[in-house]
Amino acid sequence: MIRWVGGLGMLGLGAGLGGCAKPTDKASDTAGGGGGGGREVTVALMPKSKGNAYFISCRKGADEAAKELGVKILWDGPTEPDPAKQNEIVETWVTRGVDVIAVAAENRAGISTALRKARTKGIKVVTWDSDAEPDARDFLVNQATPEGIGRTLVEEASKAMGGSGEYAIITASLTAANMNEWQKHIELTRVAKFPALKMVALRPCDDLKDKAFNEATALLNAYPNLKLILAICSPAVPGASEAVKQSGRKDVRVVGLGLPNDNKRYVKEGITPSVILWNTADLGYLTVHAAHALATGTLKAGATKYRAGRLGELEVQGDNILLGQPFVFTKENIDRFDF
Amino acid sequence: MKARTTTVGGGGSSWLRIETVLVVMLVVLLVVFGRYGRNFWTAENFFEVIRLTVEIGLIAMVMTPVVLSGGIDLSVGSLLGLCGVVFGKLWRDVGMTPLAAAAGAIGVGALGGCLNGLLITRLRLPPLIVTLGSYSLFRGLAEAMTGGVDNFTGFPRDFLFLGQGYWFGFLPAQVPIFLGVSMGVWVLVHRTTMGRALRVIGYGREGAIYAGLPVDRHFLVLYTLAGLVVGCSSMIYVAHVGQAKADAGTGYELLAVTAVVLGGTSIFGGRGSVQGTFLGLMVLAVLKNGMTLSDLPSELVGIVTGLLLLTVLTGEVLMKRIGKVGREGEG
Repeated sequence: MIRWVGGLGMLGLGAGLGGCAKPTDKASDTAGGGGGGGREVTVALMPKSKGNAYFISCRKGADEAAKELGVKILWDGPTEPDPAKQNEIVETWVTRGVDVIAVAAENRAGISTALRKARTKGIKVVTWDSDAEPDARDFLVNQATPEGIGRTLVEEASKAMGGSGEYAIITASLTAANMNEWQKHIELTRVAKFPALKMVALRPCDDLKDKAFNEATALLNAYPNLKLILAICSPAVPGASEAVKQSGRKDVRVVGLGLPNDNKRYVKEGITPSVILWNTADLGYLTVHAAHALATGTLKAGATKYRAGRLGELEVQGDNILLGQPFVFTKENIDRFDF
Repeated sequence: MKARTTTVGGGGSSWLRIETVLVVMLVVLLVVFGRYGRNFWTAENFFEVIRLTVEIGLIAMVMTPVVLSGGIDLSVGSLLGLCGVVFGKLWRDVGMTPLAAAAGAIGVGALGGCLNGLLITRLRLPPLIVTLGSYSLFRGLAEAMTGGVDNFTGFPRDFLFLGQGYWFGFLPAQVPIFLGVSMGVWVLVHRTTMGRALRVIGYGREGAIYAGLPVDRHFLVLYTLAGLVVGCSSMIYVAHVGQAKADAGTGYELLAVTAVVLGGTSIFGGRGSVQGTFLGLMVLAVLKNGMTLSDLPSELVGIVTGLLLLTVLTGEVLMKRIGKVGREGEG
């Protein structure tokens, strides 16, 4: 009993002292301090998961922008997709005090709570790659419009399938906003322009390559007439391609959103005729640039254009900052890229 | 100096006990992170540290008597996920109010715990084996109910207050619940006959049976209680994160056991204290929080936690060798 009182007393003392104490000797980097005057801007950058090659490649661009602008980046997040951990880290960042929080949200509704809290403390919030709820962030840094992504995916799928047939979609998770947006536009484009294509299944793989492999194998078994697997998250493309390769089914193709390095092998073997993406390093670069601009007040709500360093002038649609158009990697051009 | 400790206080010399070590460790962490962490020593952060640890904390608290009795419950994390999913289903698909759905979910938690208890007492299987089975069973049920993918969000603001709201603007809503349950568990373990009985059972189960203690009844109540607390924790989790998903709580059982063992409760049973678990939780929570505020990446927390645990346990063994503390490990 004494020990417990002692322990609680110790904590109470700590809190009491803390309430009076100043937070360390460092220059106060607390939230809401709108840049200017040579103070270093701190951007807290969080991917969906740190172990994902896609996000690691985004980080390269982010680091480049950080060096260029003199921004301090805090790069943290769960090693595997985990909404609860994302929330926890964001909430601790709010306590720490940063200028901007930039998150690729694993769970749209869940992360929004923490982000709204950040905004009430004067911290600027952007989302990148995958959105939160619109009132929880200032801007979304979007790699391409969902229409563009959805349309390109269906066009490439149709090419690979010869214009008609059955296909299945492997997605990351059912809660990630970007996945849902892309699925919506895939369906819209399909209905409008490629009605001869039929979707027979939609399976999530939790952004994990191994799970995508298993899902693809199951799909191949369940649907003997399947012509194509549309893998719309980057770990799923090589996962599904490997499954197709091991199954020996020569009539099935894989098309999806993925990194060139992950898929070079399968593209050359013909299993994956095309891989669609965007320059991920540019996405990271743009995110940090936009975050810095928000913190210093250069970028404000209602802007229609934004000049992002070496990327030049980019379009801002409402609260979406657009990186550009999707890019298609094929056998012909994939060797030019290394990420 | 007693040759052998007995029960209620945990015994042994007062200076070299594990709680002292933990308090010292806590002070060291507070000082270090006060120096290197941004906004660490603020009242706001103090409350956040407790707030973010409530979900695992509740489980760790109720895990203490379980481990003390020589058992363990590996199914708590899975049960957390299951209760969350049940809550989501009851609220969204059956149309119950959040309060009713929560009651249902907590009830499922108690049922799950009761199942553990029944299997342990009726089938005479070791708790490790039983809860290993229910670990898979509960998770499987949760995943089956959602097809592995469905999740529930969009809960009303009033419910979310439980995990995200603050009383009077500064006291996180879940903290009074956590403190209340902690006090309750402390009273159970240190001030009731059941608590004393559990300790004796952990110390030596056969002896307890021959002494006429109602071992089976105690176990049944204990594991059902554990399930109940897990259900409560699950509601706080869902309110905090704002979603109920089948994989919630993955790994929580090990985190809870870590806090319990760090707090000085012997994994063999018979020795330990609730305040030790509380201190262990605080050390782990402060560690995680302080490291993030010091801009250290989150994966380092695991490494440091592991080292901490090994250091504390080694220290404990060394203290025993010096002969001043408690009884030897095995019974």
